[in-house]
Amino acid sequence: MAKTEMSNYLSKNKDKLVQIVNVLSKDYKYVSILGADVVGKRYSVQKSGISISDSDWTERGFVLRVYNGICYSEFSFNELPEDVEVLKSKINSIAIEDIKKLRESSVGITKFPIIKEDVIEKSFIGEVEILPENITSKEKVERLLNIQKKAFKYSQVLIDFRTFYEEVHVSKIFISLNKKLEQSYIWSQGYLVPIVRKGENVKVNFNSFSGLKGVELLDEMDAGYKKAIDEVISLLDAERIVPGEYDVICTPEIAGLIAHEAFGHGVEMDMFVKNRAKAVEYIGKEVASDLVVMHDGAASAVDVSSYLFDDEGVLGTDTKIIDKGVLKTGICDTISALRLDIEPTGNGKRESFERKAYTRMTNTFFEEGNSKLEDMIASIEYGYLLDGSMSGMEDPKNWGIQCMLLMGKEIKNGKLTGKIVSPVVMTGYVPDLLKSISMVSDRVVLFGSGACGKGYKEWVKVSDGGPYIKAKARLG
Amino acid sequence: MIENIKNILSNIKELDEWKIVENKTSSRELFFIRQELDMNRGKEVAKYTVTVYKDFEEDGKKYRGSSTVQIHPTMTKEEIKNSIEGAVFAASFVKNEYYPINEGEYLEEVKMESNFDNDTVSNYLPKISKCLFEEDVYENGYINSSELFLNKVYIRIVNSKGLDVSYSGYSGMLDLVTNWKEESEEIEISRNIEFTEYDDEMIKNEIRDMLKLSKEKAIAKPTPDLKTSTIILSGEPVKEFLKYYYINANGKQIYDGISTYKVGECVQGQEVIGDKVNLLLDPKLENSTYSAPYDEDGVFLEKTQIIEDGVLKRYWGDMRHSYYLGIEPTGNIRNFIVKSGSKSIEEMKASPYIELISFSDFQMDPMTGDFGGEIRLGWYFDGENTLPITGGSISGNINEVEKEMYFSRESQKLNNFLGPKTIKLSNVSLAGIE
Repeated sequence: MAKTEMSNYLSKNKDKLVQIVNVLSKDYKYVSILGADVVGKRYSVQKSGISISDSDWTERGFVLRVYNGICYSEFSFNELPEDVEVLKSKINSIAIEDIKKLRESSVGITKFPIIKEDVIEKSFIGEVEILPENITSKEKVERLLNIQKKAFKYSQVLIDFRTFYEEVHVSKIFISLNKKLEQSYIWSQGYLVPIVRKGENVKVNFNSFSGLKGVELLDEMDAGYKKAIDEVISLLDAERIVPGEYDVICTPEIAGLIAHEAFGHGVEMDMFVKNRAKAVEYIGKEVASDLVVMHDGAASAVDVSSYLFDDEGVLGTDTKIIDKGVLKTGICDTISALRLDIEPTGNGKRESFERKAYTRMTNTFFEEGNSKLEDMIASIEYGYLLDGSMSGMEDPKNWGIQCMLLMGKEIKNGKLTGKIVSPVVMTGYVPDLLKSISMVSDRVVLFGSGACGKGYKEWVKVSDGGPYIKAKARLG
Repeated sequence: MIENIKNILSNIKELDEWKIVENKTSSRELFFIRQELDMNRGKEVAKYTVTVYKDFEEDGKKYRGSSTVQIHPTMTKEEIKNSIEGAVFAASFVKNEYYPINEGEYLEEVKMESNFDNDTVSNYLPKISKCLFEEDVYENGYINSSELFLNKVYIRIVNSKGLDVSYSGYSGMLDLVTNWKEESEEIEISRNIEFTEYDDEMIKNEIRDMLKLSKEKAIAKPTPDLKTSTIILSGEPVKEFLKYYYINANGKQIYDGISTYKVGECVQGQEVIGDKVNLLLDPKLENSTYSAPYDEDGVFLEKTQIIEDGVLKRYWGDMRHSYYLGIEPTGNIRNFIVKSGSKSIEEMKASPYIELISFSDFQMDPMTGDFGGEIRLGWYFDGENTLPITGGSISGNINEVEKEMYFSRESQKLNNFLGPKTIKLSNVSLAGIE
């Protein structure tokens, strides 16, 4: 394994950041600064062209947080002035002058306590098999072109076969009076996207790959093209599902979507603060079948959202959210934890240094059970094996589910018939779905190729997954 | 910074052309829970996106490779040079068909008109905060939380062909959640409102409307399981639905072989018995955060008719894909207008229907035409009574509904969209609950 390297830029400016915190601490009772230097490349190949660009996750900048005497104020910036006084005047205009104007206009402001931090000095350096800088961009494009070439040789019905590979090297530093934290790690993700057409009928499939990995991800992608193509071709003859409630088996990908969308968002505790989460009424109560154990945390798994510390300088943890069907607790960012008078769980994440931190998921998944997939299929008289996650949307307040799925594979008398329905919308009420889980398979798989939004914005990197689960679901 | 980047670019002999896009944003942000401020923020960020182009020939055919990198203001000259040299190396094996970049000259900065120019962004914070809560007066309903983002934006586009254009303006966003409680459990709805002008009446109207819909959702019954029904889409889902035509008329979709639209043919197929689509792109649509005088290639943007009475008049697209298709580039125009239709909403509602206004996330796949979503709020009219409904889902494919769909005469404006307020569809699958 090869070690990643901490950003030279952040290391070089560490003393400067310490100086900023020290100077501003004379005026503000709490000061912290988060520095981010994220570099990455995105490679894409499609029939009509090739594209190489910096990753959209690329960023270099800082966010300064101060306690203004009532609440917390932040300033995001990406030019580090020589003179700390320049920065002081910027944060003063937000934390003092803007607050004064709002108070003069009778705008109410919530009074917060001061963040208490233990003295911690730690660093984390991640490892991957192949560092991105050890393989030229030319070789990476050639690998993608080669996969595409093999795909077109494998199937004549493709109108396009798109390949994407993205590598992201994250370096972050967090400085406050008590904390000095540094971390550097690499994650990568890729997609194989076959597109087929039959008359007016166009079908597309997204097969994804991801992990705390480097260029070795391209080997996994290379092995996956046939499956991606076989699946999309099967969609051409897919029928529309007859709406109704069915016995279903969810693949680990769909189980992850349920863990994330249906339940994970509902235990983000900034939603508890806003009275936007139904989960608050169910702590200590049964919300799922006793086969269900669910985790979230940067330290819960090794995947794309595993880190030493979050974007508020809190060390990542492993939170057991559901234990044997009972809701135990939620996940929390620092500001919400102050309001709730609890400890934050290391789930305060920002889209980038430019954005506010919210409570966000990290690696969210159901634990494995004891069943075998073949036994699960054999137990269904009529139903569907649901596969291919397209998107989902949360409803923490009322626990509604929306999962847009690529396909359902028909099961009749305990056997897959080969008939496909597509697309499938899975809806329902979260506890109904989770309580209906009657079998759980024995192996967990995580997926980290997507990005999670809070509502329709604030995109952050997460992973989710689980084992195969058997449940009852409303499909349309 | 731009001069530094230009100097570095001029010393790299291996590249043929280049483009720099500068994007400077300064902003103020407020985050409220109920009517109290939870946090305030500010931002000053400058970004530089550099694209390098490298030409080469193979078997007598001309190719143009390109690669794009982000240059941060804190990068040293050495870092910038390394980053750009890496991009030039990458561009040398990006084998794309040749296309020209935009030619131009220096032009004065275009200031996009906005009444936010009348005061500082900071001074608008108390004004908007005050207006935000004026309609929050009900006993059973309230604004749960709100987020305000006010950005002052400056964009400059410079390239190696002498182009040097710039513009500046404002963009604002309100992210709102409202709740309502009747006899059953409390419910919420959420909405994003984007704007470039300060308009306190618009904000108050949106909040009034959200609270009204929240009340309806609080008394909504489970969606009846009718399997199929005449579906009326209203509000935001109409924009998402009609975006299908906007995307499929784009030159890139044509060049990539995804869209099969042909100029002179009806995009809705033969024998259309409903309303026909009329699509106009307007880069200067009022109060749209997507309005701009130029696109990211510096192409000057003008109002352009794309679809008339269902017939595709022309494709729209950027420099590259327009060149490939042999058409004049319209540039990337991000506002779209769909002409209102033949029926009033009242006429559409004369016979039984299910009207859907809010989904958890209504989606239209522009590639396959599949659309659907989970129903958060709608109304069921059974011929006698109208009942608010929630839950269940709809799904369909545009190819199965576009021949007989009707647009309302009444129109709506949703940031970068101006078009019918309501669409009536048949052949849509409904998965109800009861």
